[in-house]
Amino acid sequence: MSGQGRRAVSVLSGFLGSGKTTLLRAYLQRRAADDIVVIINEWGAVGVDHHLVRTATEQSVLLQGGCVCCARREDLVRTLRELLDLEQGGKLPPIRQVVIETSGLADPVPVLFTLATDPVLRHHFAVASVVVTLDAVHAGDLIDRQPEVGKQIVAADRVVITKPDLSSAGRVAALTARVRQLNPAARIGVSCLGEGAEALDLPDEAEPARAWTIDPPPAVPHPDVHSATLGFSAPLDWPSFSVWLGMLLEAHGPQMLRIKGLLDIGEAGPVVLNTAQHTVHPPEHLAAWPGGNWEPYLVFITRGIDPARIARSLEAFQCAGGRRGLRATRIDQAFGERS
Amino acid sequence: MCVLCAQMLNEIHWSERQLRPEWITGGAGEATRRRERRARIAVIGAVLRHYGLEIADDWSATNYLLGDRKGNRQVLAGLGELWPAAGRMAGRVLDPLDEALLDRLAAAPESAG
Repeated sequence: MSGQGRRAVSVLSGFLGSGKTTLLRAYLQRRAADDIVVIINEWGAVGVDHHLVRTATEQSVLLQGGCVCCARREDLVRTLRELLDLEQGGKLPPIRQVVIETSGLADPVPVLFTLATDPVLRHHFAVASVVVTLDAVHAGDLIDRQPEVGKQIVAADRVVITKPDLSSAGRVAALTARVRQLNPAARIGVSCLGEGAEALDLPDEAEPARAWTIDPPPAVPHPDVHSATLGFSAPLDWPSFSVWLGMLLEAHGPQMLRIKGLLDIGEAGPVVLNTAQHTVHPPEHLAAWPGGNWEPYLVFITRGIDPARIARSLEAFQCAGGRRGLRATRIDQAFGERS
Repeated sequence: MCVLCAQMLNEIHWSERQLRPEWITGGAGEATRRRERRARIAVIGAVLRHYGLEIADDWSATNYLLGDRKGNRQVLAGLGELWPAAGRMAGRVLDPLDEALLDRLAAAPESAG
């Protein structure tokens, strides 16, 4: 998603001690690149040997009337604008990627909100992926005890399960299933001593939708978090869709944990959509469909909202936009769940 | 600020951005923008009617005019302001999952723009 000449931002998150710094260090050693800048919270600065490291004290400002995800990370605004000045003044080489390592307790969504809404930054930086590390030894318990961990998993594009050598194959499999319950759209990998550092690689620009692979839903769904993948019987009407999504996020933003999609709007290429709670990454139009056998889809991860209601609502708005008869059906499970 | 019409252009809502910025330099941007804007307003109008509200474009196709049947009017700079303002004017949350609204939308194809 680092389109239109903007610098790619990878957000690296994960609970305290889950192996974020090990993964980052391995990535920087492997890449040995001058075009990567690292922004680390003040507690994580020790242990990363890279010449372009900035530390930032996490400072969130809750916007008036906003919910928790609508917090602006002032520290990031300041640091990223400073980097931009240095680069444009010739004091830094051209930046290809910025890796932001959050503190273990941070919710990644305010980072995404800040990058999507800041009037300067949004023209110069684009979120490429959110990578979350999970410790195979403790994460199973932490998901239940620490709400931050669940938020980080839901916000993730890629989840890296670390320290499998200190755990067992059974626990890693169980943790993978828990992650799949919370976020069926995330790619899950296992890393030992930083060997899975390719999770921080930028999505292949020649095939950007590869990162959008959707796995089947878990056999045992989460009691409160619902996920569903919708397919469509016809191309979507984009104006109706955007009105619908804007209204849905206004009314139910905090419950709409993630929405990701590759949408057919009747043109040569698809529209790539990615939201996290209220935060909408500006949708991108691809010139052509990626190679392979791709079908349009829309994934929802919601808290406490039945996906069937969302599908019905989407259909009604499409009808109002002139796409009468368009059907949105679940493609991640057998028919019959929807009435 | 627009140098031609002196309109203050603030935040552009994600749904109002051009999906293909190259069209702007190609000269097709304004026609596409107006067409998509008309289509959006038609759908928004169909939704707002359910709540006794209405929406119209302004002369420059930049602002939106939100109103109700009592004659209240509000100028909105962009779609980011629409749903909170409409909720205040209607006196209730506007919910796209509201079954009564959905029945009305599904039964009224003539509202398509």
